[in-house]
Amino acid sequence: MPIDQDNGHGNVVVSVNNLTKKFPNPMTGKEFVVLDSISLDVEKGNFASIVGPSGCGKSTLLNIIAGIETHDASDGGTLDVYSHSDDAQPRVGYVFQNARLLNWLTVEDNMTFALESQEIPKDLWKERVDKYLEMVGLEGQQKNYPLNLSGGMQQRVAIARALAIEPDILLMDEPFSHLDEITARKMRFDLMEILMHANPTILFITHDLGEAVFLADHIYMMSTKPARIFKHIEVDVPRPRQPEDPEIFDLEKKLVKEFFSVLDAQAIEDG
Amino acid sequence: MSEKATAVSIRISSIIALLILWHFAAIAMADAEILPTPISIAYAMVGVLVEPGPEGKSAYFHVGVTLGRTFMTFGVAMVLGIAIGLAMGLRKVIEHSVMALIPLALTMPTILMVFLAVMWFGFSEIGSLVAVVGVVTPYVAVNIFQGAQAMDKSLIDMAITFRASRKMLIRKVYIPQLLPYIFSAFRFAFGMTWKIVALAETFGIKYGIGYMFFFWFEQFNMELVLAWIIMFVILMLILEHAVFARLEHAAFKWRPANQLQT
Repeated sequence: MPIDQDNGHGNVVVSVNNLTKKFPNPMTGKEFVVLDSISLDVEKGNFASIVGPSGCGKSTLLNIIAGIETHDASDGGTLDVYSHSDDAQPRVGYVFQNARLLNWLTVEDNMTFALESQEIPKDLWKERVDKYLEMVGLEGQQKNYPLNLSGGMQQRVAIARALAIEPDILLMDEPFSHLDEITARKMRFDLMEILMHANPTILFITHDLGEAVFLADHIYMMSTKPARIFKHIEVDVPRPRQPEDPEIFDLEKKLVKEFFSVLDAQAIEDG
Repeated sequence: MSEKATAVSIRISSIIALLILWHFAAIAMADAEILPTPISIAYAMVGVLVEPGPEGKSAYFHVGVTLGRTFMTFGVAMVLGIAIGLAMGLRKVIEHSVMALIPLALTMPTILMVFLAVMWFGFSEIGSLVAVVGVVTPYVAVNIFQGAQAMDKSLIDMAITFRASRKMLIRKVYIPQLLPYIFSAFRFAFGMTWKIVALAETFGIKYGIGYMFFFWFEQFNMELVLAWIIMFVILMLILEHAVFARLEHAAFKWRPANQLQT
């Protein structure tokens, strides 16, 4: 990943160009394409959302950006994450489908685990922990252990942990999909509240178009097998938004229709 | 009465009932050489604790020797077992070659392992060490290997995305996940170790609690054999409950069930 401090890339934080990812099929040995020439740019302060059906390779894309998986450079694709602070390396925060907390550490120690990993000076830790715990609505839970918290609260800790490193890019992989709908709805509202305070740059993955339209300002629609981005829409509705807002609701309806027409066309193509 | 207090009082009554039964059985039998009464054993125990024993060695000396041997051999067996278990988790070659041998070691009767060890290495500290390592290490290795396999990969990925150093990964992600396996190996291994050490001492390694069993057995002094056995059991129960259970409790205080008890 190239390092760019003086930000010669304008406002771009994540730049994906023609990225392709193939996996060998263990049965046949034949390669199959998971991601097919994906291109997208996320600019500083943007909330970009990739929407696609389950199993379309969305998480693979995030894992490549996070550095847990590699991509095929031989196909000419590139992936760059640019730092917009004084740090040489870009900071990547990741919120997974499950909270992935270290259950043997307190809430506070889970957050300082990320801060220490990112080599953030120790004298900033307490301030960061307190600030972001309050932001996710968990003030006073510093000394509690994750297993004493509900699933929704655990996910809030995971969000606070990712925000605390003040990431250049915050990756979120269907972070509310394992929560019940009422909790998820509350979390979406609270995330929007956070956006208005902290203004992080987010790449958010979901299979829920309503969620994407409600939260994001850029939506990338992804088809499956192989995963291609077939449409990019800007959502120009100011925050705070309401899910019942007719503008939001109409856009969601329109996109759902479009999605099905693309998926149906693909199904016919596949025969 | 709380549920816990009821449980404790039932347990205590059960032990008292056993002692009463024993007492009347001893009186009915009326042969102190076969079955002395619990009261005479209690007197014998006090005698053992306050008077110097045979060869001028006190009870504390023998207890010290056995504990020293137990901790030393236990430490070696645990360290070896953990190292082998981790190596098995990291390398397939080691996993398969060790897995081929472990059933042999686990099937071998403990008493035969002690026999072999003292035949090869004599009635010495090495003999008891080899016996303990031969029996305990394979068990520990298997347990740690299972722990290494059960490691949650998603947490490792999480740590890597935050760019945790290798040291942090080991200290905060790997070891805490292995700890339950280390503790369960620890408890089981400790219980096996002191039994093997006592057995090796009974066979003839100089001094220690097992040596005293055998000494009084040869004199056919049932009172003192039983007094030593009971002291030995009480000592090990105290160690297991007072020391290890507390350690375990402290290590797992993040578990909700453990917080309720405190």
